[in-house]
Amino acid sequence: MSSNAIKAILLVGVACGFSFTSPTSWAASCCGGGSSSSLIMPKFSRAMVNLSVDMENYNGFWDSQGDYRPDPEGSDLNQYRINLGYAHRFASRWQGSVILPYVWNNNDYTGLTSNTQGLGDTTLNLWYESFDKITCVWKVRKWADLKPAVYLGGSLTVPTGVSRFDSVANSFDITGRGFYRLDANMLVEKTIYPWNVLLSLSYGKYLERNVNRDYGNYVEPSRRKLGDRKLATLSGGYTYFLESMDTLTFTLAYSHLQEGDGRIDGRPDPSTRMEKNSLAGTVAWSTMDRDWIFKGTLSHAVPRNDWGENFPVTNTLSFEVSHVLR
Amino acid sequence: MSFARRLLIMLALMLLAGCDNMQDDLSPSGADRRPDVVLGSVGPQVGQIAPDFTLDDTLYTPHTLSTELGRTRAVVLYFNMWCPICDTHANHMRQHIVSDFPNVRFFLIDYVSGSVSFSRSNQVASGYTDFTVLVPTSDSFTKRYQATMGSTVVIDASGQIVRMNEDYLDGNKLRTTLEALP
Repeated sequence: MSSNAIKAILLVGVACGFSFTSPTSWAASCCGGGSSSSLIMPKFSRAMVNLSVDMENYNGFWDSQGDYRPDPEGSDLNQYRINLGYAHRFASRWQGSVILPYVWNNNDYTGLTSNTQGLGDTTLNLWYESFDKITCVWKVRKWADLKPAVYLGGSLTVPTGVSRFDSVANSFDITGRGFYRLDANMLVEKTIYPWNVLLSLSYGKYLERNVNRDYGNYVEPSRRKLGDRKLATLSGGYTYFLESMDTLTFTLAYSHLQEGDGRIDGRPDPSTRMEKNSLAGTVAWSTMDRDWIFKGTLSHAVPRNDWGENFPVTNTLSFEVSHVLR
Repeated sequence: MSFARRLLIMLALMLLAGCDNMQDDLSPSGADRRPDVVLGSVGPQVGQIAPDFTLDDTLYTPHTLSTELGRTRAVVLYFNMWCPICDTHANHMRQHIVSDFPNVRFFLIDYVSGSVSFSRSNQVASGYTDFTVLVPTSDSFTKRYQATMGSTVVIDASGQIVRMNEDYLDGNKLRTTLEALP
């Protein structure tokens, strides 16, 4: 066995597991507002700081029938986000995190120009790790080696962004959705070097709220909520160990996001129902001790019929740096 | 200074920078804050007389509100910007509302294209050639109606009174308003 391989095995023993962040961000100034959803630090680390930058470009939309439609001629719609995240370990199996996005909207839409900025919706996460030992292995020698790392968690999205229910002129000005949301999350990850696979599932419920203003105009008061939210992401990756024992990991991910009918005074509101399928590719470089992780991600929504419904088609380029505190 | 403390300070600064609009979402109010109106005055609020206008449609045919109201029970204006939500609303209106009210005139107001030819191009591309699309060439029209994306205005024929002026949402309010017309 080469010395590099031995070093690699030792390193895996102390530092297995990359930090996980959501492979795709969900935004859309024309219907969603900016937010970044999840942040998980590696086992045996004390805390983690994460900074990411998202650049999202709009490329048409899927209509309510699932047909793709390009944006009107002359449209140039962009949203930029800086997401500041901090994760902290409370106990050997418990960790929590907060993610705070700041959002810039930069939109030219036929005759309409909009340049606004503000906080996005803040996300608070709590995660429970169902395992005590590192589950990453180099070889499967027994059944126990196949045991994955399972994380169970909950998230609270706090509507700190500017929503349609605030003093805004139109949908291009918004940076958040205006609703509290509770999510139940599960993340299953298995690494058998150099391969890894990850499945992430999330189910969210928006909390009903009062509404007395819509796009800047006061309206007849009502009680509204958005539909239940389901998000599933499946990804697979391959890790190269460099000569320096830094690592390069290439990951491909597929995500499915959908929200059901909203409610207005208890009646179903299909106008807020949406669905989005997207693909993402990530390159991550991690230092030998895994204390610094740099990522670049391109998320692509396919501009074809039946890849989504009632939602903008966007491409998002993200750059991210994480620092793990041991 | 620890990382955590620095981060908390940054978070606090960011919160302060963006708190103008935040309170309405963090603790939403259900109070009715619609402005009081003088019945019979001209304006966009429910109970007011609708501001008259003349606008070209995408085939360069002029339409005057008062003339249209002389021919129908009511006029519905839907403020459209060819976006996903607008499409959902307009498609719902086409499928579930329009045919039930044959004596009501429905117009899409394209308030973003800015020119008749551009609007026609967007109308055709979006599949709404079965609607009459009116094209304001300045934003003064939209301001007079205090309208934005999805605003739906119902004006009755009896007195040109505004019966509804708010987001289309699920279309239920529009249907109720049209059914209650004199």
